[in-house]
Amino acid sequence: MFKKFDEKESISGILQLKSSVQKSIRSKILESYPHLENYLDTILPKKDAFKIVKCHDHIEVLINSSGEQQFFRHREGQWMPTLRLLHKYPFFLPMQQVDKGAIRFVLSGANIMCPGLTSPGAQMTEVEKDTVVAIMAEGKEHALAIGKTTLSTADIAKINKGIGVENCHYLNDGLWQMKAIK
Amino acid sequence: MAEENRLRIGPKEGVTYPIQVVYCGNCTMPIEYCEYYPEYDRCKQWLEKNLPREFEKVKIGDNSDTAIGEEEKKRQKRGGKGIIKTKKKEEGPKQVCVSRAPRGKKKSVTVVTGLSTFDIDLKVAAKFFGQRFACGSSVTGDDEIVIQGDVKDDLFDVIPEKWSEIDEDFIEDLGDQKR
Ligand SMILES: [Zn+2]
Repeated sequence: MFKKFDEKESISGILQLKSSVQKSIRSKILESYPHLENYLDTILPKKDAFKIVKCHDHIEVLINSSGEQQFFRHREGQWMPTLRLLHKYPFFLPMQQVDKGAIRFVLSGANIMCPGLTSPGAQMTEVEKDTVVAIMAEGKEHALAIGKTTLSTADIAKINKGIGVENCHYLNDGLWQMKAIK
Repeated sequence: MAEENRLRIGPKEGVTYPIQVVYCGNCTMPIEYCEYYPEYDRCKQWLEKNLPREFEKVKIGDNSDTAIGEEEKKRQKRGGKGIIKTKKKEEGPKQVCVSRAPRGKKKSVTVVTGLSTFDIDLKVAAKFFGQRFACGSSVTGDDEIVIQGDVKDDLFDVIPEKWSEIDEDFIEDLGDQKR
């Protein structure tokens, strides 16, 4: 999603959100990620003024008042956390672990192929198709990407070929490199 | 069992959130991923300087060279190239340029370019110059700040003082711009 993203060219505008809109975004996020319940007030304080950065290709990035990117989404899809946010609260997305050999491919922006999730170094936690997941790696502590399953994990194991998780955001992509917006 | 526990969703007991992850000053990734960065050597230099203890660990890991060896083997089996790009801004040399430009008959302004090659927020920098020299200062281009007044010579002291990563040697004096 952010492979070719460039903060100078890809941003089309910044919107200040009305408090009603802000409220509904908060509740949507909480609905998607119930584990954030006790932490959302720190991540997106009720009284803080968030903004939405509108980007090309129907991407929106939610930023807090100090300009840090917190969540993003494509079209009207589910809000997904940025990796920097996920690193602070690594527990609220289901985690899928790829094997060591897949790391370099994920970091180059490739989608996650089924065999990378089923080999001995890999490990999955059961989820349905179209679930937002954190991509972890064999032998590493922190997430390296955020993706969306294109198959259920049961099917990933069964079919074991082709794309299993769409790579939406990874370390050092355009969103990762985006500076805080003041 | 420990592995299974690792991927479990939900806050972990005994952990205080938010977690502070250590990011590399060169590639910006968590330092455990530096080994995948094309300019790993520069990451190591950064580690050696800033986090000597982590650097020691890396050195030990390098000697056993399991990561690379194993990876090379696996690479054969997979399609695609898996080339990781370096950051764009690494392409240009890091340098700040200062010059004097005439304004009206008697006055001149100072033009500063290149601060963003050091990852400096231009708006913050412009404000700082304005306060420091008690004059107007604004961002005028992609990587350009114009300060109202002739402060070029002062900048050689002020810039390294404010941003320690910019040594005086990184500041180039372009002299006077012609009318
Ligand atoms: Zn690094």
